[in-house]
Amino acid sequence: MNGRHLARSAAVLALGLVAVACSGGPGGGGASSNQPSTLTVWLMNGSAPPSIVDGVNADFKARHPNVKVDVQIQQWSDVTTKLDTAFAGGAPPDVVELGNTLVAKYAAAGALSNVTSKKADFENSSTWLQSLTDSCTLSGKLYCVPYYAGSRAVVYRKDMFDRAGVKPPASTDEWLQIGQKLMDTNRSDADFSALYYPGKYWYAALPFVWDMGGDIATQSGGQWKGTLDSPSSQQGLTTLANMVGKLSRADKTGDELKQDAAFVQGHIAMLVANGWEIGVITDPKTGDPSLKDKLGVFPIPSHTAGQTAPVFLGGSDLGIAARSRAQDLAQEWVGLLTGKKWQTQMATVGLVIPNTTALLSANDGQPLIGTFASAARNSRFVPNSPNWANVESANVIPDMLVSIFTGKASVADATKSASGQVTQILNGKS
Amino acid sequence: MCAVPSADGAPGSAAAAAGPRTGTLTRRRLSRRRLPRRAAPYLLIAPALVVIAAVMAYPMGFLASLSLQDYGLRELLAHQGVWAGAANYARLASDPLFWQVVARSLAFTATAVLLSMVLATLLALLMERCSGPVRLLLGGGLIFVWATPVVVAVDIWQWMFDYEFGVANWALTHLHLGSHVHHNWFENPVEGFAIITALVVWGALPFLVVTLYAGLVQVPLELVEAARSDGATAWQVFWQVTAPLLRPIFAIVLSLSTIWDFQVFNQVWIMLNQRPSSTYYVMGVYSYVEAFRVTQYGRGAAVSIVLVAILMLATFFYVRQMARTGELE
Repeated sequence: MNGRHLARSAAVLALGLVAVACSGGPGGGGASSNQPSTLTVWLMNGSAPPSIVDGVNADFKARHPNVKVDVQIQQWSDVTTKLDTAFAGGAPPDVVELGNTLVAKYAAAGALSNVTSKKADFENSSTWLQSLTDSCTLSGKLYCVPYYAGSRAVVYRKDMFDRAGVKPPASTDEWLQIGQKLMDTNRSDADFSALYYPGKYWYAALPFVWDMGGDIATQSGGQWKGTLDSPSSQQGLTTLANMVGKLSRADKTGDELKQDAAFVQGHIAMLVANGWEIGVITDPKTGDPSLKDKLGVFPIPSHTAGQTAPVFLGGSDLGIAARSRAQDLAQEWVGLLTGKKWQTQMATVGLVIPNTTALLSANDGQPLIGTFASAARNSRFVPNSPNWANVESANVIPDMLVSIFTGKASVADATKSASGQVTQILNGKS
Repeated sequence: MCAVPSADGAPGSAAAAAGPRTGTLTRRRLSRRRLPRRAAPYLLIAPALVVIAAVMAYPMGFLASLSLQDYGLRELLAHQGVWAGAANYARLASDPLFWQVVARSLAFTATAVLLSMVLATLLALLMERCSGPVRLLLGGGLIFVWATPVVVAVDIWQWMFDYEFGVANWALTHLHLGSHVHHNWFENPVEGFAIITALVVWGALPFLVVTLYAGLVQVPLELVEAARSDGATAWQVFWQVTAPLLRPIFAIVLSLSTIWDFQVFNQVWIMLNQRPSSTYYVMGVYSYVEAFRVTQYGRGAAVSIVLVAILMLATFFYVRQMARTGELE
């Protein structure tokens, strides 16, 4: 009798899995987009400020008074699962914002509309940032529209630098030296981090790898090969591990999501951050406006004095779901947000790098944001493969960093294992 | 469930003796109007069978067939998998990570089940002996734990063991048990799993204690008193009298605990911010990561089929044990 009970419980367990896998996706996109009178848009948390979203919607409303635009904000942490279910269902959102490292996966699977023939209709298309355009391109076809970019630099507290008598560094070695001086000056503060570096922060680790001539993976003859275990990659990671060990009291297994909140607490002198994080740090709700005048920004230095290290060019693109029933409306909405008017706002209000080289100087007057924009000129990208998203999903690089920083594995062992995983995943079937 | 021990625990009761006699009577009547009588039981269980088939057999069959397919994002969008035979299983068998996950899950389950059984038994015994108000307090506390939703509970525990602001680090430091300032409880998976085990056991205790307590109060007092007057120690009374009578209940809670702990997911997933490193993969987490994070639904399904198979194998012994207990009575 109990046997049947058990079998049932076991099966219910399994059923749970299947039920989630098969459900058409509760993910908000839903039923409303069945009618062409509604346009559903998924934007990511922190991308466009509400004032810009409202402005774009108002412009859209002026042209299509009968169409309701439903903008839904998604969280980065679980977005891939939501996207999978939404795209598999019959009524996906019409417009989706995709991190530029994710596009290839969804384009290859046939989830996004091919907009190659419409390219000229988009306002900035002749001056789009090359690396964003590349992230939208698969086998020569365009599957999304560049939205905005972001690159990282070091945000620092000028007052703490003054107290320790240090200046922004010109090289990696100098960076470590001023960091140690800051640690010395703040010896009495057990929570103090000269450089706050959460262990899983892989975007901030890539500049160290690239600066020494290393890379995540290289492609030859259609085959990928993980290269995090190359001597140059290992050298860069060793430098980083040394800095983290000496300068950071951040959680070695934590991620960067809470770093701005931590920075505001006043025990941190330096942070590797995106331009828009300045806004979070100085916002009266999420941060401390009084920090505004105390902040400075310098680009991540190179091991070669006077140069800067290549940074990861993050960013987002806007895609149109292949199954959307409102292709034309979706295209028009995307055209507005990625056009000149609202991209200028994205730069000046949203504090990101706009999608066009024509607007790169939009923030030139601003000392802080200007540094981020110029850092983007020396930027690199992750391997452009439909399988790259799976390397991210499997946490390969964050896991590697955590093992190195916590001393669980040597740089040699950790990179060897991570590199093997990268090779395997990139060459696997997507 | 609480009624089970009283029926099984009263050997040679009148009800048991009456069983066969009623059986022969029915059989005699059956021979007169054979067909309709024969069909009736099947008709009666038919609705239940249909429901079970719909909610259990179909998804289970679907899961099994999914595990034999190559089913990635492209296949998901096309609603059409590619037949892959046993490739997903072969891949698992040759994947050292998978075997680590199985071993980790088994070790975790064994520890958590053992701890929850021992603690639950001790608490149930305490509850039986203590005075009314204390029992009320204990029961109330347990119900509060029971009433806490898992997600909330995990969030609270996560805060208690937070790296920067956790009360555990603060308290241990202030109690002079070594400096735990900025101690990371999840850096070392052994420590991390100790906390996860504590959380799982804590959450499982209410049901186990209440069930065992319900069984304990059914143990006939005369038997215990008789044993005592024969000079048995408390230890002997428990092992010679109470425990054998509680065996069916132990078997049930043991099976249920095994099932719950082997498929643990929320406690690991939420505690580690939905991004657990591979050293924290247990079967449920591994299956989820393969299916929903790496978007290989076929592989994820294969992992959960293996999970179900291991569970069935493990619980088979308990079930057989229980069936034997039933025969003995």
